Amino acid sequence: MRINFWYISSLIISTFVIIPILTVFSSFFEDTSNYYQILKETFLLEYISNSIILLTSVLILTFLIGTGAAYLVSFYKFPLSNFFKWALILSFAVPPYIYAYSLTAFFENYGTAYSIFKNLFGEGNYNTHIPKFDGMIGAILSLSFSLFAYVYILARASFLYQSQNFIDLGKNLGFTKFKTLYSIILPAARPAIVAGLSLVAMETLAEFGAVDFFSINTLTTGIYNSWITFDDLAFANQLSFFLLLFIFSLFILENLSRNRAKYHFNTRVDFKQKQKLQLSGSKSFLAFIFCFFIFFLSFLFPLSQMLYWTIKFPENLFDLQIIDLLINTLYLVFLSSFFLIIFALISNYGNRVSKNKILNILSTLSISGYAIPGVILAVAFITFIAWFDESVVKNLGFFSIKKIFIGSILGLVFVYFVRFYSLAFNGIKSGYEKINLSVDESSYLLGYSKRKTFMNIHIPFLRNSLLFVCILISLEIVRELPITLILRPFNFETFATSAYISASEDLLEAAAVPSLFLILIATSFIIVTSKYILKDNNG
Amino acid sequence: MAKNFFEIKNVDFNISGKTKVKNVSFSIENEGDVVCLLGPSGIGKTTILRTIAGLEKINKGFIKLNGKTLSSEKINVEPENRNVSLAFQDNSLFPHYTVEKNILLGSDRNKDKSGKKISLKEIVDLLDIFHILNKYPHEISAGEAQRASLARSLITKPDLLLLDEPLSNVDQSFKEEIQVRLKKILSKLKITTIIVTHDSYEAFYLGSKCGIILDQQLKQFDDPYKVYHFPNSVEVVNFLNRGILIPAKVTGKNTLENWDLGTIEGNFIKEYPKGSNVQLLLQPEDLEHDDKSNLKLEVVDRKFRGTNFIYTLKTPSNTFIPVFVHSHHIHQHEVDEKFGIKRPIHIDHIVCF
Repeated sequence: MRINFWYISSLIISTFVIIPILTVFSSFFEDTSNYYQILKETFLLEYISNSIILLTSVLILTFLIGTGAAYLVSFYKFPLSNFFKWALILSFAVPPYIYAYSLTAFFENYGTAYSIFKNLFGEGNYNTHIPKFDGMIGAILSLSFSLFAYVYILARASFLYQSQNFIDLGKNLGFTKFKTLYSIILPAARPAIVAGLSLVAMETLAEFGAVDFFSINTLTTGIYNSWITFDDLAFANQLSFFLLLFIFSLFILENLSRNRAKYHFNTRVDFKQKQKLQLSGSKSFLAFIFCFFIFFLSFLFPLSQMLYWTIKFPENLFDLQIIDLLINTLYLVFLSSFFLIIFALISNYGNRVSKNKILNILSTLSISGYAIPGVILAVAFITFIAWFDESVVKNLGFFSIKKIFIGSILGLVFVYFVRFYSLAFNGIKSGYEKINLSVDESSYLLGYSKRKTFMNIHIPFLRNSLLFVCILISLEIVRELPITLILRPFNFETFATSAYISASEDLLEAAAVPSLFLILIATSFIIVTSKYILKDNNG
Repeated sequence: MAKNFFEIKNVDFNISGKTKVKNVSFSIENEGDVVCLLGPSGIGKTTILRTIAGLEKINKGFIKLNGKTLSSEKINVEPENRNVSLAFQDNSLFPHYTVEKNILLGSDRNKDKSGKKISLKEIVDLLDIFHILNKYPHEISAGEAQRASLARSLITKPDLLLLDEPLSNVDQSFKEEIQVRLKKILSKLKITTIIVTHDSYEAFYLGSKCGIILDQQLKQFDDPYKVYHFPNSVEVVNFLNRGILIPAKVTGKNTLENWDLGTIEGNFIKEYPKGSNVQLLLQPEDLEHDDKSNLKLEVVDRKFRGTNFIYTLKTPSNTFIPVFVHSHHIHQHEVDEKFGIKRPIHIDHIVCF
């Protein structure tokens, strides 16, 4: 192994990203306050049972919605099936907390539903007949409708790569469509569906806005309380660590249960392009209704609700500094995407050319930030900076660095960097995996240096992957809430924080404007990337 | 002693920490010579090329090109600084560039060189790839991709060109034509070349020297004629599938005696004392068909190979002997019939072990 620029850069980037993650894990071994004792004697059992109920329900719902919709659009043709294919991913534009605001706004006493009834049928006591989707049910619905797209995208991609031979084999064995689905199609897509569900599980446990809005006491609440009320980061970390351990154990068990079964072909020789089946009559109608219902509930409903309130209360539009919010949001998006892409690119290339085991381990560790809830990362960052400032900087006689990193754009971008580094790193890595190593070797043999190979061969090849990763990161940053809330500079608001602050002050109507803008920006990002997310070729 | 243009001395070729071929030494005397390395799949031929190209390192011996050490235990010139071009078997074209752009990337290296250069047009005509210039690698066939990759390597006008199974994906009907063209251009541009192949006919045609790699060793390195007619070991005989070994006793300066075939005459390539027992290499073209001969053997199999038949004959001592007969030969024999062999049996080069 040769120590060169790429190796050193890659090593520095990975180490840099690992610091806050290590801080989280190191505080795991520190003494905790008496919050644990208090919690154990009071609400711990309730928190655990609520967490299990929330997680299980969200997993079941996202599985049913995501896999069902993916199955219909992948295997059948029905009215608007091509539209639904990409429209269903628009749900990504609505973060769970905005969905929660919409749900409440629509079904609450004298809410939008009430207004609709009143306009249609005149005054009446409709409030008692309108169902209330708050509390646990509200949280489950909000999370499920905003997160099901993870399962949908991955299941659909897996269905797309399933050969027509599978379906033909089912027919040949005399299977019904339903039996073909559960005995051939679903088992073959199992790794993809599980991957989607694992993302849903991590997002559910890291979710802050919706759970907080519905006042559901889950282990996540425990995590926040231990930090906010008791200033006990160590216990907060321990809770989140056990939470993650629980999820990983489930997925490791699932993985082991697969035994030695394989879910993909080594070559594409056996691949036969699928022919979609044209549905007709009631089947076609039911498929359409199912997809429309999901599309409506996951995207049109929250969008319309926010739009309705923005129109109904136009003063909020003028009260808010929309341009400032837009500039702030896009500023964070630009800065974070720029650094994430550049550093993830260098790190990937460094890994590729140095083929070093230590670097490989560091890179694997460095992408674990995505599994750690944003609030924990933010707090860990503050803890680390405070420790570094006290123990190192001040001892060396320098000025305090706290102000540079805490409550500043720099600190905010840094923690975004740690949290979303895995998105950038893995996105670029998957692009790199399509470049055979012999392509690099051919380039060297044509006289190109490593730098020239990187600039002239790799960058043009990765152009599409980079765009995709950039927009994916932008989407996440636009929606991100807890890190921004904790680390943003004074008087610096984004659409997400502005919506949250209004909602937490019970001013849901005021939350509508930033929420609407957030949905629109996120939607535009999704539309740009949809062709990459929903690749229809088999290459 | 004349200085060799290219030289490998006592090199072990390793990949992923495993030694594939041990203690290899061979040289290419003159610039522009073509050498072919032959061996079965997985034996380490590609590892040899990758090492010469600088993609793998060595820990013993040296590799020199034009007097300069490229690799040794201490020296390792980076691939991009060697001016050695390798055309991979799996073509390795850059997937995001058209075939033309792929080839032109190679020509960058050609820019500052003196001497005979090769133009894009020349190379495109040579390899008959004009129709694919504007296509992307995924839009062309494996054979076309291989020719495009070859074009990219040739256009760099390297000091040493390494070709890994360059025509393995080219259609059989087109292969011979490309071989002729390739030979012509390599000779015209005086590009020193090492070709790795498992096709002995390709190696014999293109190479001025051939190396046979078997059992982790370079077993033989010689002129193609000598490799073919004077194999230096039983392993080389078996690899080239050039007949069978039968027991015989040396009876004179130019004669041997076999229990089934009787007296065999010819020129020994190596001297053996009279009376010694040897294994004689009997190749399919060594025996001639003669219906009138009293030496008749039973036909157990007959293969039609276009220009000839290969008969497999069974001797009284249960040895199976292959014999070529021109396919226009009027008298064809069926299985179980008797097949006459002309006597006395004369073999030009008697090879024994």
